[in-house]
Amino acid sequence: MTIDWWTLGFQAVNVLILIWLLGRFFWRPVAAMIAQRHATAQAILAEAEAKRAEAAAALDGIARTRAGFAEEREAILAAAQETAEQVRAARLQEAAEEAAALEATAKASIARDKAATEKIWTERASHLAVDIAQRLASRLDGAAVRTAFLEWLLKEIHDLPDAARQAVAASGATLEAISATLLEPEEQQHYARLVGQAFGTNLPVTFKVDPDLIAGLELHGPHLVIANSWRADLSRILADITHDDQS
Amino acid sequence: MKSPLSSIIVFHVGPAPISESVVTTWAIMLVLVIGSVAVFRHLSLVPSRTQVFFELIVETVDSQIRDTMRLEPGPYRAFIGTLFIFIFICNWSSLVPSVEPPTAHLETDAALAFLVFLAVIWFGVRAGGLGGYLRTFASPNPIMIPLNFVESLTRTFSLLVRLFGNVMSGVFVIGIVLSLAGLLVPIPLMALDLLTGAVQAYIFAVLAMVFIAGSIGETVPTPVPSSERTPS
Repeated sequence: MTIDWWTLGFQAVNVLILIWLLGRFFWRPVAAMIAQRHATAQAILAEAEAKRAEAAAALDGIARTRAGFAEEREAILAAAQETAEQVRAARLQEAAEEAAALEATAKASIARDKAATEKIWTERASHLAVDIAQRLASRLDGAAVRTAFLEWLLKEIHDLPDAARQAVAASGATLEAISATLLEPEEQQHYARLVGQAFGTNLPVTFKVDPDLIAGLELHGPHLVIANSWRADLSRILADITHDDQS
Repeated sequence: MKSPLSSIIVFHVGPAPISESVVTTWAIMLVLVIGSVAVFRHLSLVPSRTQVFFELIVETVDSQIRDTMRLEPGPYRAFIGTLFIFIFICNWSSLVPSVEPPTAHLETDAALAFLVFLAVIWFGVRAGGLGGYLRTFASPNPIMIPLNFVESLTRTFSLLVRLFGNVMSGVFVIGIVLSLAGLLVPIPLMALDLLTGAVQAYIFAVLAMVFIAGSIGETVPTPVPSSERTPS
């Protein structure tokens, strides 16, 4: 057994060349490709992680925005509700005030209308009563009625203050006696005498007829009027009724 | 029957005889280089099935280097990986009719062992400088310097003898059986020889890693794996 040194040398060189060639065309390129794929995968994973983080951040932002929307919505609703409550309260107050004013105005108007109506009806009733009384009293004209009114006239004269009665007596003025019907001359003299006695002196008395008196005997002088007739009585009654209603 | 111990000279280049094992080696180199260039030209970020297969080989070699040497595989990948693939294909080249494995000849195994010897020195000096490499002979103490020096030679010799003995004996046995028993009888022995060839390629590569790691072990932070056993 011998060693062929040429072969040994060739084989050593061959293997060295093979190591270099495979290192150049196989080991390093394939390992670099593996490393590149690993780096690419890492980069893709990092990018995916970054995208995921970005998406998570975006989701957080959306959630915060949504929360902000909800808070803003709550605030807007609260403000709107508060404003609505204020407007509602103001409207209610205004309506209440307006209603109160309308009610007061309506009450006043109703009261005025009622008073006017009552006044009108009172006046109508009074006039109606007076008309009825006039129609009824117009049928009572007679001696008894005239005597009664003569007595009432004399009583009125007696009820006058003394100073007034004496002033009329002292004036000597002609008195005018008005009756609803024409008096007979005897009755006129009798009435004149009784009137003179009532004043304490004879005073000239003229007689006049006024059917509007309905019934009665009135005495008019320069400074004296004694309204002693149903017309005067009815007028006073009507004035009293009207005055009572107005008061 | 030819003796596996003898080299057959095919032709001469000047004064240099070109033996059959050298020619076979050139053929194997041609196949490997053409295949590597083909792989190199078709490398893609999205790998094909073929590229996945070759990437698996690279990753396996890297994994073995990491596990055995506890170092990053980059500087050692080409040397260790090429040793393994070359020895593996050489051992399996006996499948081709009338081809004798180059590793069945002493010169090829001696060349491989010599390259490992040089690589141990080269990587050791590169890792820790000449002084650092020489200090590895004084480990664990200076008394061990002669023994370590002898060991660096004997382990290279053991590499040579182990690979040569296993492959040559396989070829020798198959040749004897074939000459005695006929065509089909040596087939189980050939299968066993293929298994032995693969195992021997692996062992040669692992031992090369262990020797290199031992030469740079004191200059790197991570220790060499404790399993520095030398399978027979």
